[in-house]
Amino acid sequence: MTTEIVLTFLALTAYAVASALVAIGVIFTKEVFTRRAVWAAGAGLALQTASLGVRWARVGHGPYLGFYEVAAALVLFTVAAYVFAVWRSPRLSAAGIGVMPVALLLLGGSMLAQNVEVPMTAKLSSWWLALHVLFANLAFGAFALSFGCAIVYVVRERSTEGAWAKRFEKLPIQDVLENLTVRYVLIGFLFWTIMIATGAIWANEAWGRYWGWDPIETWSLIVWLIYAVYLHVRFTLKWAGQRLAWFAIIAMPLALFALVGIPAAFNTPHAGIGGLGKDF
Amino acid sequence: MTTRPVQRALRFLASARLATLLIAFVGAWSILASFVPQGDAEAPAVAEWAAAHAGAEIVVAAVGLHHAFTAPLFLAAISVLGISTALCAWERTRVASRRARVLRDARATDAAAVLANHELEVPCDPALDPGEILDRAARTLREIGIKAERRDGVIVAASSSWSVWGSPIFHWALLALIITVAVGGLWRSSGLMGLAVGSSAPDAPASYGLLNDGPLRSWDGIKRTISVDAFDVTYQYGGVNRGPTPTVTVTDAQGAVIKSQQVYPNKTLKTGSLTIYPSDYGLAAYVSVLDATGAEIQRSAERLDFSGRTEDGTVPIAPLTLVGTDLTVAISVPLDRVQGGMIARVPREPKAHVVITGSDGGVLLDAEMVPGQDLALPTGDTLRLLDVGYYARLQLVDDPSIPVLYAVLVIAMIGLGLATLLRQQIVSAAVVESAEGKRLAVRMRLWRNVTSSRTEIERELTDVLGTSGEGSHE
Repeated sequence: MTTEIVLTFLALTAYAVASALVAIGVIFTKEVFTRRAVWAAGAGLALQTASLGVRWARVGHGPYLGFYEVAAALVLFTVAAYVFAVWRSPRLSAAGIGVMPVALLLLGGSMLAQNVEVPMTAKLSSWWLALHVLFANLAFGAFALSFGCAIVYVVRERSTEGAWAKRFEKLPIQDVLENLTVRYVLIGFLFWTIMIATGAIWANEAWGRYWGWDPIETWSLIVWLIYAVYLHVRFTLKWAGQRLAWFAIIAMPLALFALVGIPAAFNTPHAGIGGLGKDF
Repeated sequence: MTTRPVQRALRFLASARLATLLIAFVGAWSILASFVPQGDAEAPAVAEWAAAHAGAEIVVAAVGLHHAFTAPLFLAAISVLGISTALCAWERTRVASRRARVLRDARATDAAAVLANHELEVPCDPALDPGEILDRAARTLREIGIKAERRDGVIVAASSSWSVWGSPIFHWALLALIITVAVGGLWRSSGLMGLAVGSSAPDAPASYGLLNDGPLRSWDGIKRTISVDAFDVTYQYGGVNRGPTPTVTVTDAQGAVIKSQQVYPNKTLKTGSLTIYPSDYGLAAYVSVLDATGAEIQRSAERLDFSGRTEDGTVPIAPLTLVGTDLTVAISVPLDRVQGGMIARVPREPKAHVVITGSDGGVLLDAEMVPGQDLALPTGDTLRLLDVGYYARLQLVDDPSIPVLYAVLVIAMIGLGLATLLRQQIVSAAVVESAEGKRLAVRMRLWRNVTSSRTEIERELTDVLGTSGEGSHE
């Protein structure tokens, strides 16, 4: 337990350092800080992976039961998506200014919430649930990246000639950044769809119905529809520029709400599985 | 004359704007529905909400938001969305077919074809020879994520022709999903059946306590019987408490076992289109009625639900009517007590609390009995408590559309996966030599999933092929 707590605090510290470094790097146009922010994020990722691994060994199941575990796994996948994206395209490191604070706040918030160990029950004991949660995490990681890219896009768009343009000059050009935002939304949409499908199969195996309009099911569909609208306005109505970026910025918090906020706002059978404030 | 309005209607239904608006409407409707209690007006949550939001309730009730996902407005939107999806899928199929042909041609393109059909010409450093120009262009494209292959006098980066089929497959699968869900509901049946351990019942509407079946559901050909053979109230498997676990057997009309297994969440009994889930459990009081000669004239397993509102902690699902009389027997089993509540298990020393009432509702007899004990009835017969055990409430879902639904979901995933992960692009280039110098002629079709852009490609190629930026990419 102590090792787990220490590792989580170290991971949180690393994420805080990464958030600060990327902010300093962007604001003061110090590329070296932005690069080091990615290393700090990577170190935090390793520490948090170790922390969740220790917890997994202790409680006997993956990080998908209870608010702390769900939020921590979302953070893990968000940071992993960011580090992976920067590894593939180093020019994206400045997008961390949108991504790392999300990871930092979410992990910090999850550590402040009650850290209850939810026992494994017959209904939760399913590979479909594990897959369902895995794809929820992957989807959120992709949506968080699209959020980060969209934030950078909007900030730079508003100051194409000014200081902010210079601060983000290492980033890809605006239309490439927009394409990247769309690509991350598409990847997130694919994973979100798989999350819904695997959730429906799990619900059918556990409850005898694949869809019951439970608030969390409804909200996962709402988020799916929101991103479906995003993709339609992009690909068929040819939206582009700031309004498309704002769409991605507004959509991501709704995805986060669907993943961790619903049990706090609604009465749902998912309470206790991953919700905020209503653990067993 | 008559085709014009039809064509106009089809164009309207196929429009991307309508599809987008419908998706947005379904999303907005769902958001509203999630904040409004669902159910009939008499349901406590609905009544409470209506009283607290009298003004909004007028609108909410008028549009049917308390039954949001079966409301005519919602179903109409879904129906139009279904038609729109079909038309959209058809349009996407046509586009994909066209693009696939273009991609096939592009993969076999040559320099002459590029020179005849290109959108961009990049002026090149005169010192570079054509081969070097193409090498540099290919290298530059690779650096921005476009892998181009070099052939005789041309470089080509063209996606495979099947990369374009993801979106049509996904949209057709979505349409199939909407149809499967809608049509599946017509044949689907879902109901609760309570069976005491050791008892069985035919799979027929009369055996269900609660049953929802679709209008096209037919029970005529179903001749199977459902039995509960055993019950483990705390079944442990794989280190996890699986909860109250009945052993369920399904037999055919001849009594041959079709399938028999323990049933718990995520380990359901499946046979054909029937799936059996554990829903709940209660106690069962096994009784028989003996006549004056000691011959058994009636035998029953009375099912009792747990109830925190009664003194005993159990209530009968339905009272037993004694054969040939108008007397009813209500049996409950007093549960063992612990501090702060009762234990939902068969008591350590089980006994039954029996209340016999006449046709006028008056209590004729109120007594307790233990297993094996006889109780003299006012009719002269004898009621014997044989045993106290468990009953399992099973949920039986017969839905032939489930495998189809799963198959459609898999196809949708494949389609979406292709649409998401595969690029749809053509970038080909060849060198033009004229009196004005050398230029790189570039043909570009950046349809989908290409993170680069026309501007970036032009900028990078100009940068690397022009004299000013020659050294920067070396």
